[in-house]
Amino acid sequence: MPTEASSSPAAVWAILRKECRSEWRTRYGLNAALLFAVTSLTSVSFAVGRLGDRPDVLAALLWVVLLFAALASLSHTFVREVEGRTMTLLRLVASPTAIATGKLLFNLLFLAVIELVTVPLFLILMGAPTPSWGPFLGVLVLGSLALGTGATLVGAIIAQTRGRAALFAGVSFPILLPVVAAAVSATRAQWSGGSVAVELRLLAAYGVALLAASLMLYDHLWED
Amino acid sequence: MKGDLVVMAVALLVWGLLFWYLIRLERRVAELEKK
Amino acid sequence: MILRGLLLLWIAAWIVAAFLWAPLVPVLGPTTRVLYFHIPSAWVTVLALGWSMVHSVLYLRSRNLEHDHQAAAAAEIGLLFCVAATISGSLWAKAMWGAYWNWDPRETSIFFLLLVYGAYLALRSAIDQPERRARLSAVYSAIAFVSVPFLVFVVPRIYFTLHPDPLINTRGKIDMDPRIRVVFFALLAGFTALFFWVQSVRVRVARLERRAEER
Repeated sequence: MPTEASSSPAAVWAILRKECRSEWRTRYGLNAALLFAVTSLTSVSFAVGRLGDRPDVLAALLWVVLLFAALASLSHTFVREVEGRTMTLLRLVASPTAIATGKLLFNLLFLAVIELVTVPLFLILMGAPTPSWGPFLGVLVLGSLALGTGATLVGAIIAQTRGRAALFAGVSFPILLPVVAAAVSATRAQWSGGSVAVELRLLAAYGVALLAASLMLYDHLWED
Repeated sequence: MKGDLVVMAVALLVWGLLFWYLIRLERRVAELEKK
Repeated sequence: MILRGLLLLWIAAWIVAAFLWAPLVPVLGPTTRVLYFHIPSAWVTVLALGWSMVHSVLYLRSRNLEHDHQAAAAAEIGLLFCVAATISGSLWAKAMWGAYWNWDPRETSIFFLLLVYGAYLALRSAIDQPERRARLSAVYSAIAFVSVPFLVFVVPRIYFTLHPDPLINTRGKIDMDPRIRVVFFALLAGFTALFFWVQSVRVRVARLERRAEER
């Protein structure tokens, strides 16, 4: 059963590497997520065209696309274990917190990769004005961290229910809404030249709060 | 003025019905608990 | 039994008082009375949510299903009161300011609470085993506890700054007249008592259901 060492950073790192390796073997999740992001982006761009003069709409659309991409992909790490029945095996080797932290880091990495493709595409396709890079990246990073943390926890919960995908969006929405709201507001502000300090602080505070709560709660998620 | 009284009467009626429903529900629960 | 009769009379009496004894708030006119229903409903919504969340955490610590019964019951009842608060608020807004929904901070907050309740109950309905259902919904409840302050206090302000509303909302200045205050607090107490009564009945039902399942 899990020893002291199995809660350590070493365990987390091992889980993270395992996730990356599993994902890289098939790249199924990554492909699906990228396809999803690009598809939603294309639909929006096709329907709406260039919106260079509407930073408010642009900001909203960007985060809607990112939110949907997150919802489409971030529960897979847990669902995979449940369906492959590898969860019990995993828990023999590491503590629930280590497992969850490893998966969280993987999800954040995953999200980063998706955004690396989606965000530039978005800016180009939608004819967005040049962002103020400092604030813009700040919002992206903090927003994604909070988004990923919240989505991972909810993903871990719904992986053990029936009707998972359908449930994920609805159940995670109240949790993720503060992130999206603050991120949209800040993204819009940085295009209008305003300050994003308030929203950044908010995103940071919320992200930290979510992370702290998650770390305490992961222990309770798998007990059979 | 009249309209006011009508609304008040409706409010009282609704409350009365709700109360009656709850009492009946509680009685039923008590019965089931005895078994 | 006496207590229930007392509750019946208490609320009935104060309903009458609300219409025949307490004055109207000048700005609100005849719609004044809505506040005696709307605000206590919103209060019970929050009370129920808090009750549910506390019992969720207690469940995680003790694994005693009693706490799960309390948490689930409170969530169901809270949802009902939340719907009541939302609808009464919406009708009031229509009467006062001409639109059923404005996304003003308070409307937005109550709507978010509706979402939280809905998510919690939807999650529960997707799990069959009692212990797993109790555990997972308790974890969700705990995380929602972090989100609620942001949803209720922060996000509506963000929305409001994004869409400044020309409508002036004067609801803050209501409880000036002593009679209004008396009726208001009396009904607030009445609603609270009502919540705990319905809650106790619902929990008893949950215990019966569990008993039936265990057979």
